[in-house]
Amino acid sequence: MTRRRTLFFLGLSGLAGCTRGNTPRLNVFNWSNYVGDDTLARFEARTGIKVRYAIYESNEEMLARVMTGNSGWDVVFPSNYFIEPMREMGLLARLDRARLTNLANLDALFQRPAWDPALAWCVPYMWGSSGILYDTRLADAPRAWADLWTPRFQGRVTMLDDPAEVFGAALKKLGLSLNSTGEAELRRAQGEAMKQKPLLRAYLNAEVRDQIVAGDIAACQLWATTAQQAIDAAPHLQYAYPREGFALYADCAVVLRESRRAGLAHEFLNYLLEPEVAAGIVRVSRTATANGVARRMLPAEVSGLRALYPDAETLERGEWFQALPAAAQLLRDRLWTELKSA
Amino acid sequence: MKRLRLIFLTPAAALLAGLFVAPLAILAVYTVLTRGAYGGVSAPFTVENWMRLADPLYLAIVWRSFVVAGVSTAICVVLGFPLALFIARSGARKNLYLALVMLPFWTSFLVRTYAWMFLLRDTGLINTMLLAMGVISEPLPLLYNWGAVIVGLVYGYLPFLVLPLFATLERMDPALVEASADLGAGPWQTVWRVILPLSAPGLRAGAILVFIPCLGAYLTPDLLGGGKTILIGTLIQNQFTSARDWPFGSAVALGLMGLVMVLLWLHARRGGEPLV
Repeated sequence: MTRRRTLFFLGLSGLAGCTRGNTPRLNVFNWSNYVGDDTLARFEARTGIKVRYAIYESNEEMLARVMTGNSGWDVVFPSNYFIEPMREMGLLARLDRARLTNLANLDALFQRPAWDPALAWCVPYMWGSSGILYDTRLADAPRAWADLWTPRFQGRVTMLDDPAEVFGAALKKLGLSLNSTGEAELRRAQGEAMKQKPLLRAYLNAEVRDQIVAGDIAACQLWATTAQQAIDAAPHLQYAYPREGFALYADCAVVLRESRRAGLAHEFLNYLLEPEVAAGIVRVSRTATANGVARRMLPAEVSGLRALYPDAETLERGEWFQALPAAAQLLRDRLWTELKSA
Repeated sequence: MKRLRLIFLTPAAALLAGLFVAPLAILAVYTVLTRGAYGGVSAPFTVENWMRLADPLYLAIVWRSFVVAGVSTAICVVLGFPLALFIARSGARKNLYLALVMLPFWTSFLVRTYAWMFLLRDTGLINTMLLAMGVISEPLPLLYNWGAVIVGLVYGYLPFLVLPLFATLERMDPALVEASADLGAGPWQTVWRVILPLSAPGLRAGAILVFIPCLGAYLTPDLLGGGKTILIGTLIQNQFTSARDWPFGSAVALGLMGLVMVLLWLHARRGGEPLV
C-alpha cells in the first residue's frame, strides 16, 4: 500500500550500515514526519549512540529493502498488517521485554493488539484511520461511505489511489469486513467501485490535500493524519468517521533479525516510549501517538483532535487492516486493474 | 591501434554491462519465477507470467498506451516542425532559441508536472483568469482527463523532437531551397515537397525519441490523469508496489521493451537506414 507516494521519488536510499570508529551507530528507517526536530539529537546526546536516519514512503518500499536480510537497517516501522508477513519471512527479531521498561506507557488499545497480542515482535508507535474529509460549507455533510456514491458531489469527490482503501470502503458500504478475501465479496466491492467511478474527479493520495484546501474538491477519502494537516490549513474542513465503519492502521517499531546492535535498538525503542519524547514528537508532527501516557501530557487542543483520536464509541466501528493472502492479493490487483481500465 | 580502441571502449562497455545488461538479465530471470507472497520472487520456474500478458485486459492497456503515445507524438510533430524550421533559419539568434528549448531541462520533470497541475486545476491560473474575465461561469474541467495527460506528454517531450529535427534542417543545403524557388515553387510547395522530405531522417529520429518515452511514461499520466485510467507504465509500477507481483511486472516491462525493439527493427529494415 503506497501511502504518501508523492514523496516516494524523494525517498532516500539506504547504504549498508557500518560502525565508524568507536562510536556505536544505530540505523533507523522510518516514515516521513515521524520524529520531532530534536528527537534524534537528544538520544545521541544522552547515549553517545550515533543514529543514521532515513525515510520511506510505503511499506513495500521498506520491505523491498530489508527483504534481502542484509540491508544494514536495525529498526524499521512497518504497518501492523506487515508484522505477520515480516515475521513469517524471518525478518524480525523477538523483542526482549525486560529491556523495554516503558512499554506500560502504551495506550490500552495497544497493550494486546490483535496482530501481536504479546508484543513479542513490535512496539506500536503511531496510528490512524482512513475516513472522509469534507468541506463544511456545503449543505448535507457526508456521514457515510454511501454519501460518496451519490451524485450530489458529482465530479468533486476523490478516493484514495490504493486498492486496499477503495475496495475497503466499498466492502464497508456493503456491510462486509474490509479484510474480506472471498472472490464473491471482492467482486461485489469492485461492482460498487465501478458504480462510483463516474462520480469521481480522480483517485488521489496525499496530493488531494492542497486541492481540498483550495476548494477544488468537496469531499475525499483520506488518511486521518493527512486530513489533520488539511484541517490545520483550512478550518472549514472536517473529518468524518463513516457510519458503516472505517479502516485503522498502526505503524509499529520492530528490530530486524539481521541487526547486530539489538541492545542499542532496544535502548532506542525504550527511549521512543518515554512519555516526554513521544509527546514531543506528536506536538510537532500532528500524528496520533500510541503512547497513552504521552497523550495525556499533551495540551487539550492536541490530544482532543477528533480526526486523530476517535472516541471509544467511534473506535468500535473501526477495523484494523490485515495482511491479504497471496491469492486474494492477486485477485484484488486484477479487479483494481479492471476498475482503472473501465 | 587495436589496443587503444579497446582502452577507449572499456569504461563505457563496463558501465553498460554493469548498469544496463546485468539488471536486465536479473529482470529476465524474474519473469520466469513465481511471485513471493509478500513481494520478491521464489521457485519454481514458470511461464505463467508471460501467458498472462495475452490477457485481453492487459492487451487493452498496451493498446491504449500506444494510442496515447501516438497522439502525443503526432502533436509534437505538428508543433515541432515549424519550430525547428524557424530556429534553423533564424541566423545569429539560433543559439539563443536552442537554449530556450532546452531551458525546461534545468528543473526537475516532477516539479514541472506539478506546475501543470497548478495551471489546470479548478482554482488554478487558467480557470481563475477565465472566471475573473467572465468568459466562463463554472471552472472548466481541465485536469484529470486525457487532454491533460496529452498536454503534459507533449510539453515534456517536445524538445526531444525539435533538437534532432533542427540538426537535420540546419545541415540541409540552402541551394536546394533556392533551386526550388527558382523553378517556380511557392513557399508552401517548397516546404511540402523539398524541406519536409529532406528532413525525414530527423523527423523520424525525433518521433521515435518522443514515442518511446511516452509509451512508458507513468509520472505524467498518474499526476495529470488522476488515476482514473491505467497505462502500461502505471501497470508495471503497481506490480512492484501494491500488487507485490515482481515476476509479472518484469514480464510486462520486458514485453514492452521487446515490442518496441521489434517495431524499431521492422522500421529500420523498411527504411534501410540507421535510426538515430
